[in-house]
Amino acid sequence: MKIIVSVKNATKDYALGKVTVPALRGVSLDVAEGEFLSIAGPSGSGKTTLLNLIGCVDTPTAGTVEVGGRDTRKLSERALTELRLNTIGFIFQSFNLVAVLSVFQNVELPLLLQRKLGKAERASRVTALLERVGLGEHASHRPSELSGGQRQRVAIARALVTRPQLVLADEPTANLDSVTGQNILEIMKELNRTERTTFIFSTHDAKVMANATTVVRLADGKLVDRLTGAEAVAAAVSRPTTVAGVTGVSG
Amino acid sequence: MKGNLSTFGVIAQIAFRNLFASRLKTIIVGGIIFFGAFLVVVGTSFLDSIDQGMSRSITGSVAGHIQVYSSKSKDELEVMGGFSMEGANLAQLDDFAKVRDTLAAVPNVKAVVPMGINGAIVTSGNTIDVALSELRDLARKKLAGHASAVDQAAYEASKGHLRQILTVLQGDIKNLGQLHDERTVSKDDAAAVNRAASPEFWASFDKDPLDALEFLENRIAPQATDADMLFLRYVGTDPDAFARSFDRMKIVDGTSIPRGKRGFLFAKFTYEEQVKLKTARRLDKIKQARDDRGTTIAKDSELQRFVKENSSQVREILLQLDAPKTVIFREKLQRKLGSGETDVGKLLSAFFRTDDANFEDRYHLFYDELAPLLQLYRVRIGDNLTIKAFTRSGYVQSVNLPVYGTFNFTGLEKSPQAGALSLMDMVSFRELYGFLTAEREKEIMALKSAMNARDVSRENAEAELFGTKQTEADTVQAPVQAPVTAKPMLVPPRGKPRTVVAEATPGIHPPEGDGFGARMIREDLTKRLYDPQQLQSGVVLNAAVILNDPKKIPQTIKDIEAAGKRAGLPLKAITWQKASGIIGQFVTMMRVVLYTAVLIIFVVALVIINNALVMATLERVRELGTLRAIGAQRRFILSMLVIEALVVGIIFGALGAGVGAVLVSVIGKVGIPAKNDIFYFFFSGPRLHPEIATTNVVGALAIVMLVSGLSALYPAWLAMRVTPRQAMQSED
Repeated sequence: MKIIVSVKNATKDYALGKVTVPALRGVSLDVAEGEFLSIAGPSGSGKTTLLNLIGCVDTPTAGTVEVGGRDTRKLSERALTELRLNTIGFIFQSFNLVAVLSVFQNVELPLLLQRKLGKAERASRVTALLERVGLGEHASHRPSELSGGQRQRVAIARALVTRPQLVLADEPTANLDSVTGQNILEIMKELNRTERTTFIFSTHDAKVMANATTVVRLADGKLVDRLTGAEAVAAAVSRPTTVAGVTGVSG
Repeated sequence: MKGNLSTFGVIAQIAFRNLFASRLKTIIVGGIIFFGAFLVVVGTSFLDSIDQGMSRSITGSVAGHIQVYSSKSKDELEVMGGFSMEGANLAQLDDFAKVRDTLAAVPNVKAVVPMGINGAIVTSGNTIDVALSELRDLARKKLAGHASAVDQAAYEASKGHLRQILTVLQGDIKNLGQLHDERTVSKDDAAAVNRAASPEFWASFDKDPLDALEFLENRIAPQATDADMLFLRYVGTDPDAFARSFDRMKIVDGTSIPRGKRGFLFAKFTYEEQVKLKTARRLDKIKQARDDRGTTIAKDSELQRFVKENSSQVREILLQLDAPKTVIFREKLQRKLGSGETDVGKLLSAFFRTDDANFEDRYHLFYDELAPLLQLYRVRIGDNLTIKAFTRSGYVQSVNLPVYGTFNFTGLEKSPQAGALSLMDMVSFRELYGFLTAEREKEIMALKSAMNARDVSRENAEAELFGTKQTEADTVQAPVQAPVTAKPMLVPPRGKPRTVVAEATPGIHPPEGDGFGARMIREDLTKRLYDPQQLQSGVVLNAAVILNDPKKIPQTIKDIEAAGKRAGLPLKAITWQKASGIIGQFVTMMRVVLYTAVLIIFVVALVIINNALVMATLERVRELGTLRAIGAQRRFILSMLVIEALVVGIIFGALGAGVGAVLVSVIGKVGIPAKNDIFYFFFSGPRLHPEIATTNVVGALAIVMLVSGLSALYPAWLAMRVTPRQAMQSED
């Protein structure tokens, strides 16, 4: 199977004033195409940092991160942006839609940045995706006119509109109630299955983890283990101290 | 290309929607830009209109478009607005013909007018002098035994007038004694006036009138001479060419100087300010202020001062009243005021104590009934004026000139600077300035041969003059000083004393006798025609150049100076702005003030807009981070913010400029009335009609765009530094 993300012994330090805070301490991880992978762990375990490295938003302090076969440390700021635009889709915890644009325009935005497609092609692709996430009738609405779940569906459409190899989602359901959250996950799973798009999402919610084909658990900036979704749920139940503290929060 | 366009489209759309979403910020920023553009459009079009009006007025009057003078001059030329009495110290241009021909060959030159500017003191003879001179003539007739009955009556009336004047002087001395320390009044002067005013003096007057007149001339007349000196600035020129070249010049009273004649034209402003009876001038000013400005005596402290001065300074009128006029004045004033007062001084004082209710009535009574009995102007049109000026080498030279009329420059009627410049023919100017004219040179040759005069070198002059037993009384004053060209001094032959008077002042009678000098002096130079050719050549100080295309002034200045070099003439050319001194620079000064104000407003605007955009950028960190994360390059962010700022700039700037343009054109149709003399001068007329020019609007928009572009730079730089990581941060 084709490896599209390869993290090798990556470390990331943040400077907090004069103190250096290690966020990741030598993490290695390969993600294969078509995986539906969850990065789990309590707050401060390094989930977001790892996502940032994979999403080319940040580069590692040491070690390597390869996305689509390209070493992110060797790329310029411009090239990283290009890589993000063409290879990766992003779904944020707080949706991060552009408030002044309509649903349609929000979804169309990455295509405009790409400058590859003509107007008609863009329109048909955006419309099809909106239908897909069930928002065909809301194309002209403003994000402020939508519910949280609807907004996150817009964000999913936006992340997928460029047909990226990889979609990164940082706690995509954290701001949603559990029913809506599950709904969002179903859509993501559906797209993963039909489009073969690779999904990597972070969560500290065991119920969310249950949806993943693979769960990578982090603690204190280190990779603890790599399990299947079911294993992870079981582990959370049997070893509540490791993961369940977090499960409790979500519950 | 398609992609570029749609990217721009989305950027513009985001920009527009952001502006709409943050309306308050947009309105504040837009409001400042609106105001700035409005101010620039209105301000610059007003200034341009003032500038155009003033430049038409100034170039159409004395200055022309370019002034040319000798580059060897010590001072800079100032045709208007010079503060010194004397003209600037300029080196002469020896041959105007050559200058004119050289300049005429320069492209774009339309006309060249010869000029010279100088200042002089003028004595017009005071009231007592005139009265004494009149009485002396009548007394002579009487003594000679050919006085008619009319002359006899005039003789008595003239005596009565002098007694009236003496009463006034007596009153003056009494007042002075009360006001000040007794010592300020000379005892001798007081005694002389008292003696002259005494009935005994007049009782014995007829016994020896000439002796009595001599006493009056020597002891009384000097006590009232102070007010009769005029300080004049004048331009000597070719009157014909001047009137032809300066279309703004208008004759107000009288006529222009006839061709080939010597003569003087008063600047109307000077004539009114300096020559007119002060009381009448003040009445005019009150009338004008009330009519033009709508002010009232009750409100305006300056008008109150005029009323007070008119009421307290009636002496000038009293001095003009002889016995019959006194009676008429008394009768008219008593009737008008319904008063039983017999002292005409007190009646006049009461008459001039005007208020808003009675001013119009008394103004008309003064001009209709009193003024015809008075001499309103000390120098009347047609009078001869004796102008005394210092020549360049310090001699006093004087010339007698008839006053042909008054003139002013349209648009500059009320400008003290432009109105300070009177006009005379170039031939007389040259004489006053100490240049030797061809005519005078001939006369000197004639005089020299008539007197057997010989040239003496400067070094030997003293020995020649004082080295013998000759007394000072034997030396004779030279008739003409021509120090510039005639260096050797003129010395009369010894042993032949002769009196030659070079100055012809009123009251001094021409010498009797048949000598050449006496004949020379008796001959009235003012009636002699000069060859108009003299105006076309000879010495001048400067020349006004009129251009075909005034827009090419800088180029023409270069051409003129180059042409001067080729011709071996030391020519210096300056713009009319420079030549007209403070007037020409006023618009430039106002422009500096306006641009400073605009600069300050825009600096403030820059700071406020910058601040607003920084705040907006900080509020949008998440949005900007998101855009970066999903693949927007930094330059996308940059263009987005700059476009936002420019959109605000264009929309509000265009609105401001548009409103300004509409306002200016509405005002341009109606016109702004000049509220007072200062505005009248700036507006170059009674109303300013500002016009909007494309440059005003384009300039305003350019400034606005620059400012909004600049103010977006720092916030855009901040925005570019937002990392995609910042999109990941949670809401708080």
